[in-house]
Amino acid sequence: MSLAAIACAEAPQRIISLAPNITEVLFALGAEDRVVGVSSFCDYPEGAQQKPKVGGLSNPSLEAVVSLRPDLVFLTKDGNPKAFEERLRAMKINTVVLTARKISDLPGGIRQVGTAIGAAEKAERLAADIEKRIREYEERGKKLRALHKTSKKPKALFIIWPEPLIVAGPGTTTHEALTILGTENIAATASAAYPKYSIEEILRRSPDVIFIGKGNGMDKVADGLLQRLKSVSAVKNKKVYYVSDYLYRLGPRTIQGVDELAGHLQEL
Amino acid sequence: MMGINVKIWLIIFVPIVVFGVSLIAGPRMINPFTADDISREILISIRAPRSMVALLMGMALGASGAVLQGILKNPLADPYILGISSGASLAAALGIMAGAAFVGTFTIPLLAFIGALITGSIVGIMGWKRGGLWPERLLLAGVGLSFLFSALLMLFMSISNDEGLRKAMLWIFGDLSMSEWSKIPYGIIFVGIGILISLSRAKALNALILGDELAHSLGFSPHRERFILFVSVGLLTAASVSLGGMIGFIGLLVPHIVRFFLGSDNRVLIPCSALIGGALLCIADIISKSVLPPMELPAGIVTAIIGSPYFLYLLRRKNVLSI
Repeated sequence: MSLAAIACAEAPQRIISLAPNITEVLFALGAEDRVVGVSSFCDYPEGAQQKPKVGGLSNPSLEAVVSLRPDLVFLTKDGNPKAFEERLRAMKINTVVLTARKISDLPGGIRQVGTAIGAAEKAERLAADIEKRIREYEERGKKLRALHKTSKKPKALFIIWPEPLIVAGPGTTTHEALTILGTENIAATASAAYPKYSIEEILRRSPDVIFIGKGNGMDKVADGLLQRLKSVSAVKNKKVYYVSDYLYRLGPRTIQGVDELAGHLQEL
Repeated sequence: MMGINVKIWLIIFVPIVVFGVSLIAGPRMINPFTADDISREILISIRAPRSMVALLMGMALGASGAVLQGILKNPLADPYILGISSGASLAAALGIMAGAAFVGTFTIPLLAFIGALITGSIVGIMGWKRGGLWPERLLLAGVGLSFLFSALLMLFMSISNDEGLRKAMLWIFGDLSMSEWSKIPYGIIFVGIGILISLSRAKALNALILGDELAHSLGFSPHRERFILFVSVGLLTAASVSLGGMIGFIGLLVPHIVRFFLGSDNRVLIPCSALIGGALLCIADIISKSVLPPMELPAGIVTAIIGSPYFLYLLRRKNVLSI
């Protein structure tokens, strides 16, 4: 069924979301009561944790989904298997597959969800707000670059996990946020989205600021790494910041994640 | 043809050269004589300990593979077949998941080491019957435990949404990049003891391969010798897993490559497998950190990609095939 056809039909009342970021969008659009099932990774907002779980992202349970008699199932192109969506369609269950991957795709994705669930107006407001804030951050990014008279962008690195060292590379939301904010991600030239990065190269490229995504016992693990990086300018000048994991998920909170980075970059 | 002594000298020489190259080569070349501050720091606190760990791990794997193939009389045996590495991985993964850090950065390697020793003991107990260790029993106990621990690991992975556990997987796949000087003395002690024990029993191992009865008539107690050699394998495997996770290929195929060239005498085979294993892992690590800078590849993958074709080539070329 096409999107337009869904919009014309009555608004769906039994919605299943198979991805945490879509669940967040659905809740933000006030469709909380119509969500009847979510993936086991959907942990935000609190209300999502109480919803029936239908399995993981790569292995949702077909039985669990079907038994909830949904009239619309949301999936993502990157996170959920294509074959699963095909099975659902073959069983005459309406599906919408979201392809948004970049921060600039986010407003479009939110509008798409809004149209599909009959909340186009609310979605438009949320999307327009996000667009406005992205533009603001781009402006700030330009200013930050202008501040650095050397005409060189401040160098940044976002560490996802310290041991082994995994960082945010090209194509990730985090990389995009660093770029929008006017910094140069020193992992931009890596050939993977989440590359295992060379410690030698961090010492050499000496980033001006290091962000560390929060995780399980992260501060203790990261201590060892920072000890080894003590000659890097970010570590020397105490420009190492622990930040939330909002950027890992392309949803309404992504902008808060960008805001967090922007706040720390003002201290540069 | 080269004499065997020349070959042995060559094999001693190779790891030294490789170690030297590993200091110079990397994402960028460093000339040790004209190095600036950053380059010197990279040389001393990153490249040198990392290459040391690669050498130690490779040595432990090569030597323990040779010994294990001998005591199990099985050309397919490698240090991981006894389940020791699965036990170590399980312990390490549980530690990572629980966020354990009671002895700082030593926690995870220590947990892996303890996990390996406990698993080794269980395998030993399972393989013990009528006053001694039996090769078939050891092998099957190891395979059984290995399946059990891998399954438990997978179980925790699939029921947990914890990020930490997915990171644990990365650790299990072998990582040399975090090597530091502080762990090296322990590595040298355990790998050294393991190799010395197995070397001191090399003659007995030669006899064991001929069969228990012959070994007995040559003056060796098969059960006692097997037990001592088994302990050395356990120590070597535990040390290598806790130094840098699991690296395949070396323990299984390096002893075979050495046999192709130098024959099956364990007095030569064990030390040469150690040296070639160390050199090979060091070479693999040079490649893994240099080909796609600033990215690194897992050293275990590189080891298998460069090692396996060479092994297959030798398999076609050479006639001898024995343990």
